[in-house]
Amino acid sequence: MKWWPIVGITKKLTKNETYDSKIAVEPLKLFKKSFHLYMIDVGNSNQLNFEFYALHTPRYNIHRFGIYFAASPRHADLLVVLGNPTPQMVKPLKETIRQMPEPFGILLINGCDETGVDLENLKLPNVVATMRGCPTASEILAVLLKISGRTD
Amino acid sequence: MKKLLGVYHTNSDSEESLMIQEDGKIHIEFGNSKLFKNSTLIHERDKVIRDPLGDDNDVTGEGVFDFRYGPVTAGVGKAGVYHLFTYGERILRVKIDPSYNRREVDKRMEGKSIEESLNLAQNICGNFCVSHSLAFSRAVEEALEIEVSNHVKILRAVALELERMYNHMYVISRLAAAAAQLVLTSHLQGLFEDLLVVNEKFSGSRFLRNFIDISGVKFIPTIDVLKDVSENVQKISTNFSKLFEQSLASRNYIDRLHSTAVLDAKSAQEIGLTGPSLRACNVLEDLRKGEEVYSSLRIVTDEEGDSLSRMEVRAHEIIESAKFIVESVQKLEIEDRNVNEFLPSNDGRGEGLGACESPSGSVVYHVDIEGGKVKKLYVSTPSLFGFAAITHSMCENNIFTDFPFAVESYGVNFADAAR
Repeated sequence: MKWWPIVGITKKLTKNETYDSKIAVEPLKLFKKSFHLYMIDVGNSNQLNFEFYALHTPRYNIHRFGIYFAASPRHADLLVVLGNPTPQMVKPLKETIRQMPEPFGILLINGCDETGVDLENLKLPNVVATMRGCPTASEILAVLLKISGRTD
Repeated sequence: MKKLLGVYHTNSDSEESLMIQEDGKIHIEFGNSKLFKNSTLIHERDKVIRDPLGDDNDVTGEGVFDFRYGPVTAGVGKAGVYHLFTYGERILRVKIDPSYNRREVDKRMEGKSIEESLNLAQNICGNFCVSHSLAFSRAVEEALEIEVSNHVKILRAVALELERMYNHMYVISRLAAAAAQLVLTSHLQGLFEDLLVVNEKFSGSRFLRNFIDISGVKFIPTIDVLKDVSENVQKISTNFSKLFEQSLASRNYIDRLHSTAVLDAKSAQEIGLTGPSLRACNVLEDLRKGEEVYSSLRIVTDEEGDSLSRMEVRAHEIIESAKFIVESVQKLEIEDRNVNEFLPSNDGRGEGLGACESPSGSVVYHVDIEGGKVKKLYVSTPSLFGFAAITHSMCENNIFTDFPFAVESYGVNFADAAR
């Protein structure tokens, strides 16, 4: 059995970038060190799922900012809603929100597809920011950092 | 062997317009869809997907449990539900409900102008947006008898191969993650992100959105950009080859994939499966075979039909796609940069069939255009047949922990299946 090539030691995979966003955000003001997010796909075209998968990659290395993905809404501080909900996903979305422990925030990302129920009409509680269209992983990270109140 | 991919029009039981794939080509023929074993799957594609080759009944009895997996669970973070009928850890039957992601994008395309419909086509599935927009464009071009220049054909093929590369990288990284191969996963995720960056350089979009246009492309990269793309793709392919070779030496990884969710060639074709999952069953079937721009492409197959074969086919396809992109960029450097401009008109009419080999199989569009608008449309997506193949291949000698390896290896998603 060969050893895995230890590329990460010889080559820095995380890009030295600054993340900034002009999107209006209400910081959670709850957490100084870290926060956990749970994402729910409510019927997007799958592009947002891929962008969030890209956020897991070493290029962004989001753990250095104290951002973690939770496996359950009950363990999360922030719920990220991907897309506008299809009629069938409205109920699971509301149930997920009921499972969030107080206090919590919600980040809405509409997606490129203009289908589904308008998220604004659902009057979801504790919405801290809304992103229109299909943002890139960098743009999403910038908003997450703004929500967490981190400036580094 | 003929594979039924869709039923475009029904007059009576014996007079249906059938979308057929045979020997790497798509055509329409008249006949009776009930003669195909996947007829019910296609006619009821907006309902729950069941094994087209098994019986319709749910499994019941002492100790049998319907484990409902999704839409809001840690393992299935997407808008769809898997019903796993389990007895202990054994999976007895699988039903899949993609209707939670039904957005009726295809229905909304009807009555819209060609440009609006092209934009909607890429919303069917964001990670197959080149495939959907290309298949739709080809259908419109056939309907309106529009010629496409060789330069455009090559550029479109490069975009399609870039889409294949990042999708395959995603699938293989997901399989590595499912097997808790954390170092491998991290490296593959890094290459996945690198490919998205290459896409952005090539087209201005990380997912190659808005690149394909009717009769052409919306964005022509400069020679310098093409050279940069070619160099980066070559580098990614070389790095991936090393990782792939290393991964095959890890028994912990390979044992999870070997003999998992096995599918034989006959069943795969009866289900209507296409793409790398079919080629993993040793069927040399690929829509790219008949295209002149792909004359130098090696079509990859494998023999076992299990999750390992599907992963290996995808891995070799990443390397082949990279070679193809490098060769194509060399051709584009000397090719005339000739692009026909599409001029929308209100009197265009005709019927057309368009298809392309997406990363997970055949995407096929049939359009009926009248007065410059889409009057009627039928789209066949590969994920529908991929999910059906999951329901069939999971029911023999598979246990609960095999589930992620089965699902990820088919490279399917609810957005594509539900449209």
